[in-house]
Amino acid sequence: MKSELVSKVLVLDNSPAHAATIKGFCDDNHLVGLKVGKERLMTVLRSNIDLGAILYSDNYGDTPAETTEIARRIRSIRPELPIMLRRDSLQGDCADSDELRRLCCISYTTDDLAGLSRAIDEFIFSLVYPNALVRGISELTLNSLGTQFSYLAASVATPYVVRDRVIFGEVFSLIPIEGSWCRGYMTLQTEEQPILDILDAHQPRHGGADFRTANSLLGEMTNLIWGAFKNRFLVDEERSRSPIQVPLIVNHRHRFISFGTENPQLCFLYTLTDSATGRSFKLYQRFVFNLSWSPEQFREITHDPGELIDSGELEMF
Amino acid sequence: MAKILIVDDSSTVRDEVADFLKGNGLEVATAVDGKDGLAKLKADPGIRLILSDVNMPNMDGLTMVEKIRGELLNTAVNVIMLTTESSPNMKERGKAAGIKGWIVKPFKGSAVLETLKKLAA
Repeated sequence: MKSELVSKVLVLDNSPAHAATIKGFCDDNHLVGLKVGKERLMTVLRSNIDLGAILYSDNYGDTPAETTEIARRIRSIRPELPIMLRRDSLQGDCADSDELRRLCCISYTTDDLAGLSRAIDEFIFSLVYPNALVRGISELTLNSLGTQFSYLAASVATPYVVRDRVIFGEVFSLIPIEGSWCRGYMTLQTEEQPILDILDAHQPRHGGADFRTANSLLGEMTNLIWGAFKNRFLVDEERSRSPIQVPLIVNHRHRFISFGTENPQLCFLYTLTDSATGRSFKLYQRFVFNLSWSPEQFREITHDPGELIDSGELEMF
Repeated sequence: MAKILIVDDSSTVRDEVADFLKGNGLEVATAVDGKDGLAKLKADPGIRLILSDVNMPNMDGLTMVEKIRGELLNTAVNVIMLTTESSPNMKERGKAAGIKGWIVKPFKGSAVLETLKKLAA
């Protein structure tokens, strides 16, 4: 199973002369570049596309003033996203350049991409996520989903990291992850109606499934994955006893959640499909290690094969 | 008829397990947490087996078992934990409290049905 992380970046750069260089840079740096026209930009920023950064250019607007105004609006809507500014020349100047530079975390030219590369590492890939962890999360989640939905085919997209804080979907679960090498949260996010449609088709109950059914199901999926994560990655004796907590902020109006840290979040997107009807639903899974993160202490728990009891089997005492 | 009490805060699990057991001819009662489980057990002497989650609000499953043995002085009812937990410490605590067995979720009914029937008899 592929575990190399990627991140999506919005490429707001209309220069054909630099398009190939930027595309090559994205390919070399595990970035998935998404191009958006000016007329759709604000809609996209308010939508469910999860992003790591914005690759901007100093001539994206028709005028320098418009370029600065667009950057200002990006910052206002998605302040957590770093804006990386391509300029034709770092020596050049324009009326709005001071403010534009302040809105951006870095300026670069395509002649020298080393600074951009460092910024990508600093702002997007700043946390090391061990391959065994990333791969293991996908495996244990697919396994849990497979047992909960034996009649659906489950698949996972390439894992990715994001900096945005947008809440997706309509139903959202949150559970603490506490260990000696990590402290944070796992979230699952999905939409309600596709789940209800699938439940009604496969597990019809009198009166039909309602939002409480979807809530409970998401809770149980969360519980199964959380349990499997603990059993695979967190040694019982080593679980954290730290009392440190920080407030979580949920802004309903802007569908925004903050865990009190700027750290990039580890994300997985699963799709569960009913092959008979083609109906499917998506499940977004995020890990936010906001309270403690020491990947150098990460290790997978290995069991003596003789001690193992398969899930679902009864171990008698 | 002997009855099985399912104690789980998740209605998804309660429904799934109850449907399976009822479909196999067993009588079932349900409780939403350890506190509710204690109350249901006190009120119904027909309960012979409890299938309980560990992590629940208000009262967790292991505390419920300790109270069944220590406060209700009920040593007759069999208890099996059905949980995502698999830590040796928790299992030891369960053993000390007198549970009969441990199932790591997800519940695979056909793998355990015969044993559950015996324990509920």
